[in-house]
Amino acid sequence: MAVRVNPDFYRKLKKFGGQSATQCFHCGNCTVVCPLSTEEYQFPRRFMRYVQLGMEEKIKHSVEPWLCYYCGDCQRLCPRQANPGEVMMALRRYLTTTYDWTGLGRLLYTSNFWKLFFVGLLFFVTLWVVYTFHGPVVTEHVELETFAPAHIVHPVGYIFGTLLAVLLLSNVYRMYKFILGPEKISLPASVYLEELKTLLLHFFTQLRLRMCTDKSRWIKHWLLMSGYFIAFMLVNIDMVTRWSLTNEPPAWWHPAKLLWTYATFAMLYATTEAIIGRLRKKEPIHQFSHSTDWMFLLLLWPTIFTGLLVRIFMEADLALPTYYAFAFHLAFTVPLLGLEVPFAKWSHLAYRPFALYFIRLRERARAMQQPQMATEAEAQSA
Amino acid sequence: MGSQNVLVVGGGISGITAAVEVAEASQGEVYLVEKRPYLGGRVTQLNQYFPKLCPPNCGLEINFKRIKNNPRIHVYTLAQVEEIKGEEGNFEVKVKINPRYVTAACTACGKCVEVCPAERPNEFNYNLDKTKAIYLPHIFAFPYKYVIDMQFCQGTSCSKCAEVCPVKAVDLNMQPETLTLQVGAIIWATGWDPYDITKLEKYGAGRYPNVITNVMMERLASKDGPTGGQILRPSDGKPAKKIAFVQCAGSRDENHLPYCSTVCCLASLKQALYVKERDPEAQVYFFFIDIRALGRYEDFFNRAKNEANITFIKGKVGEITEDPATKDLTLKVEDQSEGKLISETFDLVVLATGMMPTTKINPPPARVALDKDGFILNETPGIYGAGCVTRPVEVAAAVQEATAAALRALQSIRGR
Repeated sequence: MAVRVNPDFYRKLKKFGGQSATQCFHCGNCTVVCPLSTEEYQFPRRFMRYVQLGMEEKIKHSVEPWLCYYCGDCQRLCPRQANPGEVMMALRRYLTTTYDWTGLGRLLYTSNFWKLFFVGLLFFVTLWVVYTFHGPVVTEHVELETFAPAHIVHPVGYIFGTLLAVLLLSNVYRMYKFILGPEKISLPASVYLEELKTLLLHFFTQLRLRMCTDKSRWIKHWLLMSGYFIAFMLVNIDMVTRWSLTNEPPAWWHPAKLLWTYATFAMLYATTEAIIGRLRKKEPIHQFSHSTDWMFLLLLWPTIFTGLLVRIFMEADLALPTYYAFAFHLAFTVPLLGLEVPFAKWSHLAYRPFALYFIRLRERARAMQQPQMATEAEAQSA
Repeated sequence: MGSQNVLVVGGGISGITAAVEVAEASQGEVYLVEKRPYLGGRVTQLNQYFPKLCPPNCGLEINFKRIKNNPRIHVYTLAQVEEIKGEEGNFEVKVKINPRYVTAACTACGKCVEVCPAERPNEFNYNLDKTKAIYLPHIFAFPYKYVIDMQFCQGTSCSKCAEVCPVKAVDLNMQPETLTLQVGAIIWATGWDPYDITKLEKYGAGRYPNVITNVMMERLASKDGPTGGQILRPSDGKPAKKIAFVQCAGSRDENHLPYCSTVCCLASLKQALYVKERDPEAQVYFFFIDIRALGRYEDFFNRAKNEANITFIKGKVGEITEDPATKDLTLKVEDQSEGKLISETFDLVVLATGMMPTTKINPPPARVALDKDGFILNETPGIYGAGCVTRPVEVAAAVQEATAAALRALQSIRGR
């Protein structure tokens, strides 16, 4: 098979933070020490080579970058200080923009101007929308439901959510075409459904992260993920149960409220820890921060914090502060979800479990082919 | 008028060469100062040189003879430079001479060893065996005199050696002396140390007895070494049937020694030939990043390849683990030519530990510029580095460097 190389690929990857790949002299220690690399899916060393040679096509069709969880063991051992973990990270950034068909991802990753532009745009448009379309402002008591009427919030929320899901899933489909497309696998639909258990398992647990040497990373990540998932579900359930928008705050033991408390503090802890880590740069995973890493954290943290403020002001029955906090909460949430989920860092919530799902599909397809080939061989020998 | 004398610090192959070259071309005195109780340095500990595979003793013997024949060469063993004052042409150097506890009268009859009750680890064999507290450093030692290691000797309370010595050469009350030398130029040739393997965490950090260094392998292969020249495992003394050479153990590594030590590839190829010579059935694996056999050494690489039946594997060893019961070692490597992750078990592992200049830890007590890795930059007038303190080199290049340093020293004292 012919391999097309792009000698300028490493220059391209520079914008994603992967230029140190050129330092590598291929001793292979990174691959040996990696707790996640396997005989079939070997990394990072091979990918250092692909980057050096400019094997862009090969990289585009690879699933390995999503199998790396950036434990950092490779980086600590690397005799060339070529930062293999960061190169794998850069490849994930690059693949994120490659899967994205809109081109917005590439703008976010490669241009600070467009990054600020889109974040600013969504931020201020959201504030403007709240300012223009909010309901009557009741100042005697907190009446958030009056300020943000359900007949506006809900349809907008549904449309926004559907749009994001469509964008993200269309990118996932492109990822599928890149990774499994060339193999032309044919599987019955039932296998696709059966293997959804792999997808869900890894979506909810991030079990592979536990294979890293430092187990605390998994706990921190799971706090963030579970916290976010709970908060997300509460918001959705809220559209039906309306518990948070009621003008009478529920008692502290209300299950939704307990879950909400967990979600807020779990996320606040994990994001604060990540911000401090990136500032202190002690762990390999925090040594190099791409501008999009900061974009993610600097949208997520204020989102959580303003959410907390809304709750505090509501409990204290401070009407105006509640409405302001709510407006800013939305102003951070909209760019966070709108940009990060389909186009940037947060898309890994889909790409990582889907990568494992695709591998399972590949394995299943091979397993189905092999007995077939065996019987053919038998027939021939007979 | 400045001094015509030259001080050579370090009595290894570089220092010896520089000393005889200067002495044979100048009128002044040459002082050769050596820390150990004998001359010859690390070269004396080698079994054979590459590429000719000749023993180092013949070359050393010739040089020792040149030293003996030249009355203007003054050798001080067990001596260390403590202070250097002055500048090019007029250095004043303080040298501390540690007591040998054995006088020049010693005839090396060896009667003292028979009665000595104390033992010490034999650093000449990299602590693979022991000697008595009174010992002859090695069978080709120059000067051929016994010496006492006071750290292990029981002192005057024992005195058995002093009693038995037929020529009364043992003096347990010998005191250190300080010597002040006036010299015009200084050649610094204090050599190298093998990189400290306790820093190589992934290779067991020195905890595994059957993970040895390349310099230890030289001792194992030497007829006068701890095993009489057989390649035996330090843990149980069994012959090593399957041996791994792990290249770049510390060298070419930004976390350890960032440079290539230049000799280790050839040294390991040479050692593979030792193995094959002693046991043609033995399996030899060679794990490398690149094989650096530069210039004419390419021939030696080809020779080793053809004769020693080595399995070459492109990939640096990532991790060594030990089976606590058998003390066998398992190496993990990415075999890049086969595209496989391999895990292979061995009887003995030889780490090609890199060369670290001694000046990294003990710089000269003078204003001498060093690079970030501790190598001497020849920038100070009157003080010249020679051999492995300037860059990592093999014996042949060290001798050339030493001659070059001798010429620089001669040029320096000539003008005065």
